[in-house]
Amino acid sequence: MDDTQHSQQLALFLASTAHDMKNSISVLSGTLERLLDGASPQAGSADPRLAQMAQMLYQTRRLNDNLMQLLALYKKVGQPEYPFDVQPIPASELAEQVASLGRVLLQSRGIVFDVEVDPDLIWHVDEDLIVGVVSHAVNNAVNYTHDRIRLALRRDGEVLEIRVEDNGGGYPQALLDAGAEAMSGISSGVDFRTNSAGLGLYFAREVARMHRHRGRHGAVRLENGGAFGGGCFILTLP
Amino acid sequence: MNSPIERKPEQIDWASKNYLVVDDFIGVRQLLRESLRSLGARNIDQAASGGEAIALLAKTRYDVVLCDFNLGDGKNGQQVLEEARARHFLLPSSVWMMVSAEKSVESVMGAAEHQPDAYLVKPITEGVLLTRLNRAWHRKQVFRPIDQAYAEKDYLRAARLCDEQIGASRVHEIDLLRMKARLMEKSGEPEKARETYERVLSQREYQWARAGLAKIRMANGELEQARQMFLGVIAENRYYIDAYDQLAQVYQNMGKYDEACTILERATKLSPNSVPRQRNLGQVCLKLGNVAMAERAFRKCIAIGEYSVRKTPDAYLGMARVCGLKNDPKEALVLLAAAQREFGAEHPDMPLRAKITEGLVYHESGDYRHARKAGDELEVQLNARPERPDVPTCLEMATLLFAVGVKDAPVELLCYVARNNHDNAVLLDEVQAIFEKARMGEEGAALIRASKKEASDLMNQGVLLWKTGKLDEAVAWMRSARNKLPNNQRILFNAAQVLVSHMKEKGHDELLAAEAHEVLAHVDQLQPGQQRFAQLMEQLAALAPKGETVEEMPPPSEPAA
Repeated sequence: MDDTQHSQQLALFLASTAHDMKNSISVLSGTLERLLDGASPQAGSADPRLAQMAQMLYQTRRLNDNLMQLLALYKKVGQPEYPFDVQPIPASELAEQVASLGRVLLQSRGIVFDVEVDPDLIWHVDEDLIVGVVSHAVNNAVNYTHDRIRLALRRDGEVLEIRVEDNGGGYPQALLDAGAEAMSGISSGVDFRTNSAGLGLYFAREVARMHRHRGRHGAVRLENGGAFGGGCFILTLP
Repeated sequence: MNSPIERKPEQIDWASKNYLVVDDFIGVRQLLRESLRSLGARNIDQAASGGEAIALLAKTRYDVVLCDFNLGDGKNGQQVLEEARARHFLLPSSVWMMVSAEKSVESVMGAAEHQPDAYLVKPITEGVLLTRLNRAWHRKQVFRPIDQAYAEKDYLRAARLCDEQIGASRVHEIDLLRMKARLMEKSGEPEKARETYERVLSQREYQWARAGLAKIRMANGELEQARQMFLGVIAENRYYIDAYDQLAQVYQNMGKYDEACTILERATKLSPNSVPRQRNLGQVCLKLGNVAMAERAFRKCIAIGEYSVRKTPDAYLGMARVCGLKNDPKEALVLLAAAQREFGAEHPDMPLRAKITEGLVYHESGDYRHARKAGDELEVQLNARPERPDVPTCLEMATLLFAVGVKDAPVELLCYVARNNHDNAVLLDEVQAIFEKARMGEEGAALIRASKKEASDLMNQGVLLWKTGKLDEAVAWMRSARNKLPNNQRILFNAAQVLVSHMKEKGHDELLAAEAHEVLAHVDQLQPGQQRFAQLMEQLAALAPKGETVEEMPPPSEPAA
């Protein structure tokens, strides 16, 4: 009895601390975005301070994504305990949200962002999770691209396929291997110590697998190629 | 950046709207304000607590409310929303966005009536906010005529409007089907509700649709099937709390109070801040004699009720029973006095119910002298006022009065129940059982027979006048029948039917229409979800002169169960 009471108090404390941290990070990244957004129209990439700010924004985003993923995993995403919430959502609105989340960062890095989506396509997804996973993939692609990233959503038979492609030199072999492991479902295969992308991929896989329909479930994979011949992150949802 | 995403054809003018931002953290309020300003918004109010929010909502009709769920001490975001709806502080078009740090359990637990228009998870960014605002706004536009018909309780018209919209707005198809299923349930058309749920499930396995099917099974008395379906829903998503509440009801209907208690206990662990759930748990515990758990549930119920419009006197009455069982009748009397202070204004039956509980407390603690005294006082109260409380209270009261040795008052109460429910065989059996327990089996049976006859004679005469076309006389007859038997549903329905026929025959009449509405509202209050109610409401609405400007009604928000 005392034990459960103690762990309940601890959970409450952790939840309220997490709440505080999220508030702080969202204020931080919101302010950085606003500053950068106000400065960039004059093609200010010549100013080295702006480049530094863009880097700060990139890092803040990473921090935010990692914290969110950790918290979500701590709340057991992928387990029946997570309040998984599927709704019919237009694919165009998923793309719209991912695009707006990346806008300032991509602009400040001089990266062109292409979006291709079937305007009539509607899919049943947990919107918050999917927007989070795809945004994270876009942030990741910022690292690998030369100057172009493409987000494409289309129906492929019985699944929704979401692709994030870049025109860089492609993912290194270690990352492709990590992706293959994530896909194969050997969760112990992702090495969190040596692979910084591990958490993101692990999270993406968990999110994909929660999306189930008629005995099928979602999946993620990484490959090189795609429209630009660079790295591709591919999420499929039944 | 080139983004080929097509914008929606109708752009919404977010600049001219009125906004309220509620968050206890100033940094977040400022961030949200900046985000709204970048959408062009000019009129943005802020509140740091639930109390401040209510004060602002009382003064200004906001188009958009962004409200954090967790507001520190005092009301939480959900309670602010419920109060704002209950007190009609929101426009039918108002969009309420509930913000939380993490994906909230509430977002999936399924009590659709009390849901905000959207849930947002922090951190909130401009783009996400705009997308969600646009979607919620469009949804409101689609649902507006439906909500209007719903508020007017013209459920059949609302359901037809759902059908019309389903073709036109595919994005909202699932939502519209959910609404339609609910409307069919409210119209006493379970078969059509079932078809609608099946149609949803043919697309996706939505838990609320599965739970909807289970509810229909339960209402149909197929308790074992309902039980298994609810268990399946919970196994699929253990945060779908509505299924726990329903499952507990199944167990109660099966007479398995232990199981009902276990499931309610689990539900209150997952989602503790629900007044009705804690009350149900407390009442089941009382039935089981689990005084300690009943006490915890009622205390919690009273505590969360402090900030909720859904607070209930049941928690106080239950807590008083707990005190009685713990041999502390003094504390019980304190609670009963508190209940009368708190709820006396809105609940005219409060003095009666408090006195019944007082009698029960004394009776259970073995103080038969005081129990009898409470019974005598009850009899005096009953003689002083002609109105009678609802059926469960009447039966509870009759049982108690017999137990403490009062005789005339409970007989009168039971005859009243029999007269007003002369065609409800299950209830009449219950009444008979109470007579038998008081060793008045034969006398009771005769009284019930006489009460039934009195009611059916009154009704048959009215029907005869109606069928022979004497509409004015039929209306007058049914009016006097209603006076004699104010809570007899058959008589009430027939009274409304006669009024509708009168207007069909002789033209619309505002006074008769108002009378029919009043009668139907009363019968719907006695027992919601009846087919005849929905049909008569539809006929009545169709009789109203066209072009009549209908006053805007608040969005559907149901009172606490």
